[in-house]
Amino acid sequence: MILGIDIGGTHTDAVCINEKDIVATAKAVTGNDLVSSILEVVRALGIDYSAISRVVLSTTLSTNAIIEKKYAPTGMIVSAGPGIDPRHYFLTDDFYLVDGAIDHRGREYIPVRDDQVRGVAGELKGKGITGVGIVSKFSVRNSSHETMIRSLIDSDFQNISMGHAMSGSLNFHRRLNTTYFNTAVMPVQVRFVESVRKALQELGIHCTMLFLKADGGTYSSSAADRLPVETILSGPAASMMGAVALCKDSVTTTLVLDVGGTTTDIGVLIGGIPILEPKGVNIRGLKTLVRGLKVVSVGAGGDSFVHLDGDAIRVGPQRQGPPAVMGGSDPTPMDAFAVLGEFDRGDKTRAFEAVSAIAEKLGREVDAVAREIISVMVHNIKEGALDFIDEVNRHPVYTIYEMLHPELVEPKQIMVIGGPARQLKPYIEEVFGLKCIVPDHAMVANALGAALARTTAQITMLADTQLRRLVCPELGIEEEVSRMLSLEDLKRMGEEAIRKNAAYLGLKDEIEISILEEQSFNMVRGFSTTGKNLRLKIQTRPGIIHEWSPQ
Amino acid sequence: MIKAKRKTGLIFFPAYDWEITPSHPERQERLLYTQDQVMEEGLLDIEGVREFKAGLATTDDINRAHFCVPDAASRITPSHNVSAGGCIEAARLVLEGVVDNAFALVRPPGHHAMRVVHGARGFCNINIEAVMVEWVRKNYPKIKKIAIVDTDCHHGDGTQDIYWHDPNVLYISLHQDGRTLYPGSGFPEESGGPSAQGLTLNVPLPPRTSDEGMLHVMEHLILPVIHDFKPDLIINSAGQDNHYSDPITNMSFTAGGYARLNDMLSPDICVLEGGYSIEAALPYVNTGIILALAGVDYSYVKEPDLDPAAIKEDPRIIEYIKRLSDKLLEMWYDRERHKKPDRPYVERSRNIFYDTDGISENQKEVIKICNDCPGVFRVDSSASTGYYILGIHLPWGACNACREQAQEWFDYPDDNYYAVYLQDMDRDEYTVNIL
Repeated sequence: MILGIDIGGTHTDAVCINEKDIVATAKAVTGNDLVSSILEVVRALGIDYSAISRVVLSTTLSTNAIIEKKYAPTGMIVSAGPGIDPRHYFLTDDFYLVDGAIDHRGREYIPVRDDQVRGVAGELKGKGITGVGIVSKFSVRNSSHETMIRSLIDSDFQNISMGHAMSGSLNFHRRLNTTYFNTAVMPVQVRFVESVRKALQELGIHCTMLFLKADGGTYSSSAADRLPVETILSGPAASMMGAVALCKDSVTTTLVLDVGGTTTDIGVLIGGIPILEPKGVNIRGLKTLVRGLKVVSVGAGGDSFVHLDGDAIRVGPQRQGPPAVMGGSDPTPMDAFAVLGEFDRGDKTRAFEAVSAIAEKLGREVDAVAREIISVMVHNIKEGALDFIDEVNRHPVYTIYEMLHPELVEPKQIMVIGGPARQLKPYIEEVFGLKCIVPDHAMVANALGAALARTTAQITMLADTQLRRLVCPELGIEEEVSRMLSLEDLKRMGEEAIRKNAAYLGLKDEIEISILEEQSFNMVRGFSTTGKNLRLKIQTRPGIIHEWSPQ
Repeated sequence: MIKAKRKTGLIFFPAYDWEITPSHPERQERLLYTQDQVMEEGLLDIEGVREFKAGLATTDDINRAHFCVPDAASRITPSHNVSAGGCIEAARLVLEGVVDNAFALVRPPGHHAMRVVHGARGFCNINIEAVMVEWVRKNYPKIKKIAIVDTDCHHGDGTQDIYWHDPNVLYISLHQDGRTLYPGSGFPEESGGPSAQGLTLNVPLPPRTSDEGMLHVMEHLILPVIHDFKPDLIINSAGQDNHYSDPITNMSFTAGGYARLNDMLSPDICVLEGGYSIEAALPYVNTGIILALAGVDYSYVKEPDLDPAAIKEDPRIIEYIKRLSDKLLEMWYDRERHKKPDRPYVERSRNIFYDTDGISENQKEVIKICNDCPGVFRVDSSASTGYYILGIHLPWGACNACREQAQEWFDYPDDNYYAVYLQDMDRDEYTVNIL
């Protein structure tokens, strides 16, 4: 059995599954101590712990630590060389600029100075800093400056992370942010993993522990210790993966709406797989290289504040408090549902009062106003969804082939999960003009998504046969290659590298390789071909573990 | 976090699946390192800088700027539709106010393509700036006067040809002296046709001119001329082969110099033209241009191997450039003293060589001297491919007399042409009569 736990901002959900079925679900309020919230929800499941073979956690731990700046001061040693002045990107006084520069092909043109690095390390230590991130520009082409700096300071600090290990993608500014956050949340994550492990062991759960990443894949706790930054924003990833697990049709392009209290998260599944944010996700208004799902939030949820703007009914974008029906003071879409007899909890008269206040001002029937409130909410969601799809389709392409054969994303059906999913279905079908599915277990989709997401990893392979160099930044590989290396050779080497380093990458499931990007360029110098520039991004296929095959 | 002072749109289309031949300089790899540099510097993460998808220029768009022989489909590949379409998209973004300025970093280039197209010249099949300019004039009639400042190292003889008779398009080219480089033209005497005298302004620079010389021309010639002309739209044909590392030219500009140039010029639209130092120049020059367009500090942008002392001009070069600028500025202010010739028609004959495709062409061009409009003109063109055609161009704002003349030329071909083409700008019609 697999245990999936989604620790959200307000609630912690748990779901326990075997191959075919959901065995148990439970819900608890998320408290300040996440470990006790986990224990509470696991106990509430009332299951046999000995049968659990895997625990998957989706947590807000790193996200909150970053957003609330609850982490120890973290140092950064940065080398950049010419370009945009790197000091524009320094987040605190603990960022230090040192000499060193590497060009776009990975050639060094300004060396690192040992004495300077040691001096900076001394200053950081003097400030009592124990975690340091190391970033150089173009380190994904040549990581030697980062590794050299590391070797100089290795014994001085407890936690060190290097930019090239975060991601194989180019983007110096995002690499700085990502490495900084990774280093900052490392001790938080390590402490958390330890205490959860101990708590679960006390219950008698001794099994693999995995964490959900922002991209909707999972990885082992040891990989999470090394790269905790990948767990940020796993909440939307959990709901999208829940949709994947619950969507029986993996062929039709599906728009996913996760309707919450304050917001609705919008995503899309193509071939049963959610799409990724191309450059990386943002956190605290800062851009990172963390691979994450492309999801947009619109301020329209079940508890959105309903008010009048002249004669027009407005829903959201903010939430003032709980719905009137649940003891709040302002009308919300949930109150509209209560008026229409589609929501049975709480105090229906309160809902009626809240909605009739609006109806009176407009001089209209209460029922008609209630229906319009929901219709306005769904129109807001639709507007957000159309913008989202439009943005996905506006993505630039770099080849003539793609220009002439555009693969436009066009959802043919909608899946709705979250609280008011069932009530919203007819409204969504009418407003969008598309078939709408509300799956069973839509309430625990997030925990289910976490439980079932496959372990995933991605690596970048770059070969420059003119310089005879091969690099794979994520695995720290830099080696000499043959002048005759082909793209096919590189694919084979990439696949081998993933298999060989499966444990390091945090992979547990059967490895299925898929190629995300492949490019091969002849390098022409002076009217003759002098080499090849080969580029690959390889991943293990994301999705739902094969063991899950519900009837 | 860096914030742009101006909203800048970037259309990046490296055409990673297009090349002239596998070892030609205009190759798939050309913008690869530029993309790497732009990505690594995070230029697209600057608040206010946004990347947009290229568009596709249609045959109608191409036919507003060219007589393609026998037709557009035979003379271009889809790559040209995209690179011209990328320029059009850049113009649309600026004119719709989505951005303040835009850079079409596209390939293949276009500034050697003339109005008549029998094949490729200087790696160019169609003139992507001209296709864009004509699209702008059709869709935004309020844009009357346009200035194109061509900073490619090679004289933009194609753009010069297309706007030779156009009094509303100022074409300024800054390039390595034609006595020392392809295409061997672009001298001060080439100053525009009888209806557009002085509106072609050629600035041939001596080999080894570096930033100081170029920026002198900008400050003391180009900016005063632009200020005087008062264009509604400024376009920079941003070729990057004046760079000291370019393998096929002999100039000494730097990335910092290019950035400063764009900072001074403040173009509405930049279009990439040539530039074949794909590793040592393009990544840095393009970074500099994008930062300058966005109004972001570019003072730290610098090539790894830059040695300013080694590429500094000889003082004699600066002296020469100062005299040239003064002379050209005087020519500019004197241009209105030139009266239109007192003859009904003016004729010129030329031989044109298409180096990329190995075609030679003979042209006879006749323009009607008209006091009411820029004047209709016709081009008799025969090429070594065997095609002999007549192209008739009825300009924007053509008068009735010119319109009648165009119709007469079109209806009664006076030679054994393969086909007669009529380009009617105001009516946006392109008519072909295959004989």
